[in-house]
Order: sequence, then structure tokens, then C-alpha cells
Amino acid sequence: MSQRLHDIKEHITSKLSSNARSDRSADDVVIVSAYRSPIAKGFKGSYKDVNTDYLLTQFLLSFIDKFPGSLKDHLELIEDITCGNVLNVGAGATEHRAACLAAGIPYSTSFNAVNRQCSSGLTAVNDIANKIQTGQIDIGLALGVESMSQNYKNLNPLGTISDTLKNDRNARKCLIPMGITNENVAANFSIDRANQDKFAASSYNKAQHAIEAGLFNDEILPMKLPDGTAVTKDEGPRPNVTPESLGSLRPAFIKDKGTTTAGNSSQVSDGVAGVLLTRRSVAENLNLPILGRYLAFQAVGVPPEVMGVGPAYAIPKVLSKVNLSIADIDIFEINEAFAAQCLYCCNKLNIDLNKVNPKGGAIALGHPLGCTGARQVATIFNELKRDQIGVVSMCIGTGMGAAAVFVKE
Amino acid sequence: MLGYHMKGFSGYGVQYSPFFDNKLAVATGANFGLVGNGKVYLLEIDSKGQIHETNSFLTQDCLFDVAWNELHENQVLVAQGDGSLRLFDTTLKDYPIEIFNEHEREVFSCSWNLITKNTFTSSSWDGTVKIWSPLRKASLLTLVPHPLKVMKNFDQVDIPISNQKAHTAISKNKNCIYQAQFSPHDPNLVICCAGNSYTTLFDLRQPSTSNNQQNFFSHSGLEALTCDFNKYRPNIVATGGVDNTIRIWDLRMLSKQFQAGTQRDNSIMCVNEIKKGHELAVRKVSWSPHSSTTLLSTSYDMTCCVWQDLSSNGKAPTGKTNSTDFRRGCITRFNQHSEFVFGADWSLWGQPGFIASTAWDGNVFVWNAFRK
Repeated sequence: MSQRLHDIKEHITSKLSSNARSDRSADDVVIVSAYRSPIAKGFKGSYKDVNTDYLLTQFLLSFIDKFPGSLKDHLELIEDITCGNVLNVGAGATEHRAACLAAGIPYSTSFNAVNRQCSSGLTAVNDIANKIQTGQIDIGLALGVESMSQNYKNLNPLGTISDTLKNDRNARKCLIPMGITNENVAANFSIDRANQDKFAASSYNKAQHAIEAGLFNDEILPMKLPDGTAVTKDEGPRPNVTPESLGSLRPAFIKDKGTTTAGNSSQVSDGVAGVLLTRRSVAENLNLPILGRYLAFQAVGVPPEVMGVGPAYAIPKVLSKVNLSIADIDIFEINEAFAAQCLYCCNKLNIDLNKVNPKGGAIALGHPLGCTGARQVATIFNELKRDQIGVVSMCIGTGMGAAAVFVKE
Repeated sequence: MLGYHMKGFSGYGVQYSPFFDNKLAVATGANFGLVGNGKVYLLEIDSKGQIHETNSFLTQDCLFDVAWNELHENQVLVAQGDGSLRLFDTTLKDYPIEIFNEHEREVFSCSWNLITKNTFTSSSWDGTVKIWSPLRKASLLTLVPHPLKVMKNFDQVDIPISNQKAHTAISKNKNCIYQAQFSPHDPNLVICCAGNSYTTLFDLRQPSTSNNQQNFFSHSGLEALTCDFNKYRPNIVATGGVDNTIRIWDLRMLSKQFQAGTQRDNSIMCVNEIKKGHELAVRKVSWSPHSSTTLLSTSYDMTCCVWQDLSSNGKAPTGKTNSTDFRRGCITRFNQHSEFVFGADWSLWGQPGFIASTAWDGNVFVWNAFRK
């Protein structure tokens, strides 16, 4: 009797311990393909004369060309597109829909534009993943595109808040320039100039090494310019940067006491990136390759005056949702808006810096705002090895952080 | 809904007669099947919709499953806790007409070959599946599924059931085979599922060595309690287990994997999964005899559910899984039972959708899957 009772008891009390690294199911949201354009310098780089609609069209043409045949010949199977963008008027809802049509995507594929500041590209991935998870769509495209060269002038954060709100102690904080928020992070958490410059120089050195070793070749799709020339390499990285060479730069935001310089901040850039997502059962049916799977996404709010701490709160939250710890993560792609905030987040979470941005981050490569999140997804899938887990995260202006977890297959 | 209460006995298995549209056989045990007598009930539904007991046989140990003889309208087979299988003639009284006594522990399932109709299979806690002929006392074949290893992939919450020493040192024998079944498409194929989370496919034309078996890890290391062949799609199998999920498998993925020699970790992927459909372990799954995409499940959560398999439209894969539906593909949830539901069977007769279910509450209910 006792054995039968035990048997029944075990049927009721046994609990599954999930294993994010190996658990696969037909429901999984999977990444079929992820690419990006080379990132060009803002205002004086190769893309300075073209706008986001051009960048997006050209990128989509090459991206679609990389699609597996079963999808390339049936683009109508892509049911929805979400495109992240920050600086265009209305997040580029009109011109980017037009760019999709110009690239040959049928009108039947719906389009929407999202703007969650610097996380827009990752928010686009999350938006498409959610739609796949709920069964609203089967295949979707997440994009991010930004031309800071052309549209930086549109951004006038001080102009759009009413006087009443400017008098509100909390609302007013949303107007603090990003550089000042980083000075706040550096000052509040005692991150000195030398450490920031060291971190920034290492970003440059890693990017330089990655370019020399051809590590970006598998994630970059060359960008064809109107004059027929093609850009194939990132323009941000400079060779032979040292902490000392960065040390001679003058603070950019607070003249004498500041620690944030042009050398330890992200660069103003232009670029575009895309991630094609589907459900595993659909990928099996259509014989689509699977790069890996999307596990989860979280965005959190933090005080606007220290918005750079965002990843330090978003990463633990998203990891707790999938029962993982910092130690389980093999690679972190944390956007380097500024050296101080990125360094603060890594220190606060005890992240081994060797796991952070192994091919360099936004300080060296550039930070085309709305593109960045999607760019990081393309990058991390080329860094992770089979069954490794990666986290993509960034801080967000007005005080937020976002993070997403991916597993390579 | 029609009902019948079996006083003092808890239901484990129920089956509609393959010969009469109003006859049911129910396997039961006293004291929730944990200790004591068993009883097989023969029930009849009359024209007024009342269920009557027409005959019953008391046995010395609990009964865990029941199967009608596909060749004889009056013969019914039961799986007994003492390791025996007993064949009863429903026109006689008291004693079985045959006893098949080979299993060393509880027999948990028995089912008839639906094609040749002259053999049946049984599965037991002793880790074996046996093939029998009703004409012979000894089994025709004994099958042992491999691997026998137990995958430790789960947290065990161990609550001692008493302080007696004999009760605390219970071996975790998870080779227990909860169900075995012949394919309704090929008389030589047998499938079984076991406590070590593996589902195994045997081809009786081959020698029963481990090389000739195909298996897959079906419930993430937790016990696989039930399996069923789809009656229309020969390669589709459903399984249910202690991880509270129902999974749907395509056996062609299995043969592809074995041919390619990529038996890396036995991890073929299910083609569909019904997660969070039941709050506790799934005890029985059964595909509809009338539709290739409808299946029935029973669970320790005291409900029976009827599901639409959204991964197929009956002809081709759809790419959907049940998670993509806001009701997870649930057509009906039957919640009249007040205890663990162990057995259920589809009626082959009349308007499609009639189901008989039985539970630890001692009730047999007859209800319709599509009638609200």
C-alpha cells in the first residue's frame, strides 16, 4: 500500500525545475536571422547625406536577400513589422512603412513604429516576440533605424514640456541632458575619470581587434550608397586608443569638475539593424534556420536624474523571470551610453567585465539610438556559442532600463 | 450528463463496449486503489438514460485498467494489482474464465489489439510490457524498454508519509510502465510510457532488443503516465505526464533522428504542447475516434478536458501550438468529478462526442464533449 501511495504522492508533488539552457519547445520564439549595417559616424560619416528611409530600404534589400528561399519567395508570410526609431517625427511611422514597400515587402504586411528612446530596437524585438507568443502572428520582423546626422535637429527635449510641468519637481527631471545624468551617476557612485577612460579605451581596443580579426563580417550587411559605393566597416572605432590618450580630452558637460568626455561617451552615429523572428513550430514547417531563442524582456523605471543605472535594475528583473542568475550568463551586451553608467551597472551586478561587450560597445562603435537594441541582438548571436545564454541591455533617457535574454542554438 | 455511483470503490479505468452502444466496463479499487479488493463493474445505459449495474466481479486486489475483448462481446479483461490479468465472461458469476499470471508487480494497463484482435498487451510496475493471446496462459512476448535509467531533472519535494521505517526507505523505482498500447494502424507496433519519462516504440517483427526500440524523452524527466496513438494520423502520438503537460509527437521525427545517427540526447521536439491545461499531473490522454485533431485528457486536478490540437488542420501542419490560443485550444472542461480523474473513454457510437469518465470519487459520468 505504501508504495502505491508514494507513487501517487510523487505524481502530485514532483516539480519541474526548468533549465533555460536546454529546454526547447514548439512554442519557443526563435530568431531566424539578425543582421546590421555598418555604423557610420554622425554628421561627417558615409550616411550623412541620406535619411533613415534610404538606409532602411537598402538594408532590407540585402537582409531579404539573406532570407532562406522558403521565405524570400513568400514575403507575405511576414505578418507584422515593428521598427524602432527615436529622432524622426512620429518615430518614422510613414517613411519607414514606405521603405518596407520600396524594399519589396507586400502591402499586406502591417507596420508599426515604436519609440522607447535608446531601447527602441530591443523594444521592437520584444513587440514582435509577444505577438508570436500570443499567436497573433507567426512570423515578424523587428527593425531599428536611426540617422542622427539628419534628425538630431528634430530632438528638442526642452521645447515640448509645458511650463506647468517644468515647475513640477519630478517632471522637470526628464529634461536633464543625458551627459548630466551621467555626471550624476559618476559623482553619486564615485566612478573616477581614470576608470571611465580605461573602460572606454578597452571598448576601442576590443572593437579594433574585432575589426582586424573580421569578427563583424557575419553580422554586417554592406550598405550601398546612392553613388554606388558600398560601406562595409564600422566607422567609429579608432586605432591605438589608450586611457592616456583619452585622458587628455576635456569634459564635455561640466567644464572643470566633470568626468564625462567625448572619449568616454557613446558616439553620435547612423545605422540600421533587423531581427527576423518566428515560432519554432513555424520554423520547422518552413525549414527556416534557427539562430537561437528569445526568452524574455523587461523594461523598468529608474530615477530620471541617474537614468544610466537602468541596466542594473532591468537585468536582475528579467533574469528572475527566467530563473537565471548573473553567473549563468555567458555574454552581456550592455549599451555603453557612457563609460561611467555602464561601469556602474557591471560593478553593481558583479558582472565579470570580460563577459561585457567582447567586440566593443557604443563608445567605439557608435550609438544610433533607435537602431542600437536590434544591433546588439545581431552582435550577440555572433558572439554566443551553442547553448550559451546572452543578455542585451541598455539605459533609457528619462529614466528607464531594458534587458532581454537570448539563448544561442 | 448521466451518472452512476460505485459505493466504496474508486474508478481507475472505463471502456465502452466495442459491440453495444450502451455497455460500459469499469475497473475499480477499494480504499482509493491503495489496498484491498478490486471490482469490475458492468454497466448498462437504459433507454431512459439511467445507468444500471448488470453484473460485477469482486477481485482480491485493486484493478487499474479494463479492456473489452475485441473478438468476443461478453469478455472483458482487467489489470490487477497483484500482477495478474483476469478475463471475465460477463454472463457468468464470481470467477474469471482465465488468469494470466506473469507480472511481478501491479499491472497498470491492458489493451486489446484493434487490428488482428487476437492479442492484447499489458504493462506493469515490474518494468515490462507483455504481449498475450487469450488462448494461452503464458505470454507470447516480454518487452523491456530501454533505457532503464532514471533522469534526475527535477526537484523532489519529499514528504514522509509516516514515521515507520518501512515507509521511509521506498525505492524510487521509476521504471514503472504506466501504459502500453497497440497502434490502431499497424498490428505490430506497440507504444509504452514509463516513470523514467521515456516513451518507447516497439516493432514486434524485430527481435526485442534495445537496438530495435525507438524512444524519446517525453516529459522533461518527470513521469510519463499516459500515451495514445492518433486514430487517423498514423505517426502522431499524444503523451501526458507529471509535468502537467500534454505533448503531441510526430514519430517520423524519431525515425529521421535514428537514421541520421544523431541520437545525441534523445531530445526530439514535440510538435505541439498543451501547457498549463491541467493544474496537476495528466493521467490519461485519448484521441477522438471521430476527429484527427480532438483529444481527451484526465488529470489529478479533478477535471477532464477535450482539446483541439491546433498544430494540425487534419491534413497539414499549421505552425500553431496550443499556447497561441487564448483558451489553449480547450473545447470543454468537465468538472463534475470531486476527486482525481483516472479513466475516460470516447463512445464510438451515436453522435460523436460522448465520453465516459471515472474517478476516485467512485462516480462514472457519461457526458458529451460538444454539448454545453
